[in-house]
Amino acid sequence: MNPDLDLTLERVIRAPRSTVWRAWTDPARLEKWWIPAPSRCRVDRLEVRPGGAFVTRLSDDGADYVPHLDAAFLVVDELERIVFTNAIDSAWRPAAAAPVAMTAEITLADHPDGTLYRIVVRHGDPAARALHEKLGFEDGWGMVTGQLATMAESEAP
Amino acid sequence: MAQYSAELDDVFVALADPTRRGVIRRLGRGPTSVGDLAREFPMTLPSFMKHVRTLESSGLISTLKSGRVRTCVLNRERLAVLDDWLAEQRRVWEDRTDRLESFVTGTEENQL
Repeated sequence: MNPDLDLTLERVIRAPRSTVWRAWTDPARLEKWWIPAPSRCRVDRLEVRPGGAFVTRLSDDGADYVPHLDAAFLVVDELERIVFTNAIDSAWRPAAAAPVAMTAEITLADHPDGTLYRIVVRHGDPAARALHEKLGFEDGWGMVTGQLATMAESEAP
Repeated sequence: MAQYSAELDDVFVALADPTRRGVIRRLGRGPTSVGDLAREFPMTLPSFMKHVRTLESSGLISTLKSGRVRTCVLNRERLAVLDDWLAEQRRVWEDRTDRLESFVTGTEENQL
């Protein structure tokens, strides 16, 4: 876990673990919540097993569907854990995910009020960060931008 | 998201040059005329103007013309775009979790 690159989220959901699991793993259910309304989601592939495809599309008008997510499951522990990444696509081809490649780990645990739902999303460097190397930044990008911002602020009158 | 990424690309491209970083640093001290800025960098005015235009189109600076003097001003909030991608991802996951929660606790789930 790197606080500059990663995020964690924890929530108690007032529903049984099996219900939350089904919402994640049944295409008809996933389509209902995966993408914010009014856009619509179509689940093209949802092969919930290690190496399985996770492909979703989205539509703004309900007619034309454009690519949304093309990812692969890394780990699937029934009723407990789902890990997927968009750093490789559903054909296992290394992918240039924009703005940033990520691996998402979703963990479900029993809780007196329902399900303890935890997310850890590990990010690669933002896509723009790869670009900076090509363009010749010498220092670590975080340092460069941090310094730049500090400098710009401190030199304010 | 795609639009956000394109904005980010423009900012990174603009900052990928030592002259342009120098201009940003200089403008941190306050608005400065193009003429005064140009004198601090060893190049012709037309070459320098290209850098100014790149910075301007990235949104990192704006320029204002008053009479015959063009003044450059730093847009500080634009620098913040560099740090905002993680906040954006957090928002995506929080909203997604809100939707999952209302789906599994709502009546809709039972109707499927």
